[in-house]
Amino acid sequence: MTPWSYQPASDLDASIVERLRRFPREPDMFVYGARSAAALVLRAWLRGYHRLRISGAENLPRQGSFVMVANHASHLDTLCLLASLPLRKLHRAFPAAAKDYFFVDLPRAALAAIVVNALPFGRQSQIRHSLQLCRELLNNPGNVLILYPEGTRTVTGKLGEFRAGVGLLVAGTNIPVAPCHLSGAFEAWPKGALWPRPRRIRLRIGALRTYADFSNDKEGVERIVLDLREAVGRMGETKK
Amino acid sequence: MTPQAAFHSEIFRVYSAIILGALTAAGLALAILKWAAGKEVKAVWLTYRSWLVMAPAALGCLFAGRVATIVFFCFIAILGAKEFARATGLYRDWWMTGAVYVGIVAMGVTCLIAQPQGLEPGHGWYGLFVALPVYIVALILLIPIVRNETAGQLQKVSLSIVAFIYLGWMFGHLAFLANAANAYGYLLFLLFATEINDVAAFTFGKVLGRHPLRSKISPKKTWEGAIGAFAVSMALPWLLRFSFPYFGPVQLALTGLIIGVGGQVGDLAISVIKRDIGIKDMGAGIPGHGGVLDRIDSLIYTAPLFFHMAGYYYDMR
Repeated sequence: MTPWSYQPASDLDASIVERLRRFPREPDMFVYGARSAAALVLRAWLRGYHRLRISGAENLPRQGSFVMVANHASHLDTLCLLASLPLRKLHRAFPAAAKDYFFVDLPRAALAAIVVNALPFGRQSQIRHSLQLCRELLNNPGNVLILYPEGTRTVTGKLGEFRAGVGLLVAGTNIPVAPCHLSGAFEAWPKGALWPRPRRIRLRIGALRTYADFSNDKEGVERIVLDLREAVGRMGETKK
Repeated sequence: MTPQAAFHSEIFRVYSAIILGALTAAGLALAILKWAAGKEVKAVWLTYRSWLVMAPAALGCLFAGRVATIVFFCFIAILGAKEFARATGLYRDWWMTGAVYVGIVAMGVTCLIAQPQGLEPGHGWYGLFVALPVYIVALILLIPIVRNETAGQLQKVSLSIVAFIYLGWMFGHLAFLANAANAYGYLLFLLFATEINDVAAFTFGKVLGRHPLRSKISPKKTWEGAIGAFAVSMALPWLLRFSFPYFGPVQLALTGLIIGVGGQVGDLAISVIKRDIGIKDMGAGIPGHGGVLDRIDSLIYTAPLFFHMAGYYYDMR
């Protein structure tokens, strides 16, 4: 008789927080169930309390992996971007979240990993490793990576400078990038506020861009980042 | 089982006092070892701290009543099954793990409802409870047929059946015990004696252990630990005789045998599974103990054996 082969979860010996911090994680059906249930509640909340309106969702590709890039003003941003995706894509969408903020204690890590399905991104250290995780995600079909190239939530409400990471990921590839702009999220729940206020939020999703002809060096990456920042910023200027 | 009944039950009050006393004494002993003797107790301290959470949680659920107790044991069974599924890799198959969870919930339901025709006294549908493996095994065998698949199905079916029988059914006997007339005596004795047996095996093994019990299965368990724990377990039913005052010497001796032998076997049975898979602990959910399964492994054996021994001699409800 051939012996059975077992494939235990790779994080058996890790504590709960450690399991949430690791990536890729090994979720079981309870995690998927909790995430789907939370998404239904959160989507209803966003549409009811914040009157969330989404335009341009039809721009998002139906197949293949892609990146969503947006301005970052609030914890609501990620929930809004996730709400623009069909529910069946929910478990394949990975918002990059600061490891030093979201993956430190159990409550935050549980929210980030279970509800949002966040990818722990090292902002100060392990940047190269984090980018490699993103690259692997995008090489598999059907994944969505959500990035905030500003690297943190704005404190002024204005669009900050974009960091190079997103450029490094897509330069010289056919991976489509969807520039997105959120307005109202800063007024609804700025950094430091305890609880969201009932303000309207508008999410605009722009036309896809690809950067196959851009070289993966300092100059190419800089041009990509500027192009994306301009695209995101321009959507913010259009009148309602 | 209701909060009022627990409050007026002498058995419940005495066990609460014993557990509180044991936890306090163990805490003091650890403190003396650390501060006075200067020993390194960090690992034991971690284990002890988890006891400080688990013991009151179990006592609290028993105090809250029959429904809370059944839900509590079902919840533990589901956590155990989840762990088993993660350790064997079965968790990737939602259909199979789903069927195991359905089985555990069904077990809980048979404990909660009464026999529909009223042919059995009191709460709990014992007939369906003991017949449940028939239905759940049938359900699990149905899955590959519905999905029209063969590759690797025997392994998945077998693992699912083991998970259900082990956690849903054998461990589930604890949940059904909540329906017994002497629920406090049976449950509190089982939980307390089985855990004491575990602690005794660990302590005797640590102090006197020389000869490995089953060298290939669990190198750390020793004959000395097993015999010491057995001796303690044989004495416990007499010491805690107030839990079941109507037990005669035969029943008390059988109870001791079940705890003393069943406790070790339950431990070793989980070790066989772990060694075959090639892992050290079933999980890391309980600091200082490993996973939930590492904690309840002895109960999986002692609970059904004790249940049917007591059921053979006395009316349960």
